[in-house]
Amino acid sequence: MAGILIYSEKSKLALELLTAARLIAKGTGLNIKILCINSDKQAEEMVAQGAETYHIKEQNLNLADTAAVASALQQAAGKLDASIVILSSNRRGKELSGRLAQKLDAGCLSDVTSLQVKDGKVQCARNALGGATIATQQIETDMQVIALAPRSFEPAGLQDSGSLKEMAIEIESSLIKVLESRSKAGDAADIEAADILVVVGQGMEQGDMVLAESIARALGGEIACSKPVATDKKWLPEDRIVGLSGKKCKPQLAIILGISGQVQFNVGIRDANTIIAINNDENAYILQMADYAMVADLKEVLPELNKALGY
Amino acid sequence: MNIVVAMKQVPDLQQVRIKNREPVIEGVPFTLGIIDKNALEAGVQLKEAAGSNLIVVSAGNEEVEETIKEALAAGADEAYLVLDDKLDGMESSLTASLLAATIQKIDDVGLVLFGEGSGDNYSGQVGSRVAEILGLPQVGYVSKIELDGTVARITRSLEDCEELLEVQLPVVVTVMGGINEPRIPSVSQILKAGRKPKEILDLDDLDIEIAEDKKISTLSNLAPETDRKRVAVKSVTELITVLQAEGFVGR
Amino acid sequence: MEFTLTKEQALIQKMARDYAEQNIAPIAEQIEKENQVPDEILKGLAELDLFGMAMPEAYGGADAGYESYVLAMEQIARVSSGPAVAISAHSLGLSAISSFGTEEQKQKYMPKSCRGEYITSFAFTEPGTGSDPKQITSTAVREGDHYIINGTKRFITNANYPGPIVTFVKDSESGRPTAFIIDKFCEGYSISEPWEKVGWHGGVLCDVYLQNVKIPVENVLGELGNGYPVLQYGIAFGKIGMNSVALGTTLAAFEESVKYAKEKTHRGEPIAKFQAIQLKIADIAMKYEVSRWMAYRLGSLANKPKSPGDFAKEAALSKVVIAENAVAAARIAMDIHGSYGLMADYKVARIYRDAIMGPQVEGVIDMQKLIVAGAILA
Repeated sequence: MAGILIYSEKSKLALELLTAARLIAKGTGLNIKILCINSDKQAEEMVAQGAETYHIKEQNLNLADTAAVASALQQAAGKLDASIVILSSNRRGKELSGRLAQKLDAGCLSDVTSLQVKDGKVQCARNALGGATIATQQIETDMQVIALAPRSFEPAGLQDSGSLKEMAIEIESSLIKVLESRSKAGDAADIEAADILVVVGQGMEQGDMVLAESIARALGGEIACSKPVATDKKWLPEDRIVGLSGKKCKPQLAIILGISGQVQFNVGIRDANTIIAINNDENAYILQMADYAMVADLKEVLPELNKALGY
Repeated sequence: MNIVVAMKQVPDLQQVRIKNREPVIEGVPFTLGIIDKNALEAGVQLKEAAGSNLIVVSAGNEEVEETIKEALAAGADEAYLVLDDKLDGMESSLTASLLAATIQKIDDVGLVLFGEGSGDNYSGQVGSRVAEILGLPQVGYVSKIELDGTVARITRSLEDCEELLEVQLPVVVTVMGGINEPRIPSVSQILKAGRKPKEILDLDDLDIEIAEDKKISTLSNLAPETDRKRVAVKSVTELITVLQAEGFVGR
Repeated sequence: MEFTLTKEQALIQKMARDYAEQNIAPIAEQIEKENQVPDEILKGLAELDLFGMAMPEAYGGADAGYESYVLAMEQIARVSSGPAVAISAHSLGLSAISSFGTEEQKQKYMPKSCRGEYITSFAFTEPGTGSDPKQITSTAVREGDHYIINGTKRFITNANYPGPIVTFVKDSESGRPTAFIIDKFCEGYSISEPWEKVGWHGGVLCDVYLQNVKIPVENVLGELGNGYPVLQYGIAFGKIGMNSVALGTTLAAFEESVKYAKEKTHRGEPIAKFQAIQLKIADIAMKYEVSRWMAYRLGSLANKPKSPGDFAKEAALSKVVIAENAVAAARIAMDIHGSYGLMADYKVARIYRDAIMGPQVEGVIDMQKLIVAGAILA
């Protein structure tokens, strides 16, 4: 029976793919196979999630060589009779998706943020026109390659009936040699690059800065502020100012604390994907430009929120 | 050695307006993809260092011939263009076939450069597909390139690490937006751009058939319904639920 | 009649806009406060060929035509008037040398000026004269194969940069105004502190003191005793740059107004939803459209002037409209901004101060109207 093949070199992302694959399997009746390359740890993890797992153990298979990995996936798809290959749209996955699609003569959609199955077809949503629109698209070829934007799906939960098989494939010699691989050090704060920002204003008290910073840390985000917080109060350095005279940020999430929403501030944050605003003034304009608006006293909310996030 | 930069003509996104949730593309001037300009600049810098020839390739409607002047002004030496109004809105797989066939017409290609994604669609597939068609090694998300004889030393920047790679030429590289700051061409360079050599190809020259059936169909393309949801949140518990639902915590 | 830009013109416009956004916008407030354009900006603009845009290639220019010059200058002035004012005054002096200079003079001054190594000045006004050349008091006295020049020139743009200064003085032989090319900072050349102006900060105006400045006879520009055509032509050509500066200010007023109207809210609605604001936006837009086509057209006429008199009329006519439109547009932009517009945080305050410079300099409005009427009624 034809199936869905999923692969990501990152276990966490592979589990997200598994969730999406289960969604597709439910609508199409296809079965799910998961591929791991040179990682016993990942293979075990996938088995524990109830996945039908195939493990390629070939020390000569170089993950940095996209052509080689694409070839491995092509061979695996052939052996496993997969018609849909699901990858993650992280950088490795996205680079891989195009090469694999070309090998399989498949249509390919990357950066897919959600999907649904309708009449046996997988309909994918993705940003288009630089994010101005959201396009819903489907692949019409027999073979399909779909790359899912990270964090678009919940990681799959535990299930029984996992299995593990090794798979052998052919490998050609690689034209790419890895000279060095180094982890990226924790960069200095770059609020423009941050996915999540906690932005504080004058409506907060200095004593609560610790809580705001802790919330930012818990969410994996950065702390930023309105202009007066840096220039007048000097609670934060000026490179963390959001707004007309600061930085214009486009985070996935902005949590805006104690800021009324003057236009000169708003220009710096209005492109955030999701805005949560907390303010004690129910007439504060910021509440109108928020996806989620909370009228509350920060003195009460911050400790509670901080605790709920696990600190 | 020839260095090839592939560039895509896209509508100037800053001028695309949304009317009744539909993007209005009509009348919007064309420009070149923003990260394509980083690829071009990378090419110009390598060309200047190595004394090679820089060729820009592009496929699209007849307007590409005008649009590509921007690349010729910014440092490309010549252009290979596939022009046909039928190519408007073509999908990535066709673009890749056309570009690959065009690149095959160029001798002594050492390096093929792409931007990591086009400004309009950002599927990021074309570079990978071209590499596969040409049977060349590829490196994506590149933040640094050094040419050294028959090899290139290339830094690929992933989310959590950087890889320093040595690759046998020729190689297909897609660069990241941050790799450089594209230069602004001078008035003289702009005026001379139109006089640089251009090789205009049509579909017959490339022996490529445009398949009747598309690989991808677009069911809808609309602006998100409302900008802001404006949902009132009453408690921290509700707030946590929101954060979970939006995928920011609890994963 | 084709009211569209060529691809090259569109690219030149974009080039100037990109440069201004990337390199000038971040320091626009610094230019405003220090009344000085940093050298690296002048160098950057010179590398883009903006110092010799309309000059012939044979003398180091880009030969892009004056309409392209207007397109580029508009985009620079949109972000900051200072650099645009400097280039405008430079181009005024340079075009006089290009039009009236001998081959030797052109070879000596033009290539370096086109590269921005020289920044040119044009000196007519004196403390005691307005627009009347007959009132000139500076003098040139011939001594063998030199002239000795004495006098004071007022409000001279770029007087602080090295390069040629086209200077109008009365020569002792003819008793009439004659144009001379003087090298700035030669012996006997000195300048005042820069004037503190209302607007156009960064466009540096000084008084120039000429004390026994000795220049060779071959530095006469045009004919001895016949400085008037050089002056008339130069002032007329200077309007192309002045128009571009005012046009850029008008564009900035328009863009800032639209932006503010969409962002500023009143009772939960952007003020752009109110008709009172919509009418104002339409008014600015109309003024900008009128100004830009007049400015581009003057540039186009300058490529091939029918006659000096005709061009002077066209230049005067466009200057009045464009300079006054800039003031009107800035005033409306102020109204849209309300009290915020008065605050230094908002760009519109600077736009307003820049706009009101235009009608007062390089020939006041009434003087321009007299030129227009004179040409019509002659």
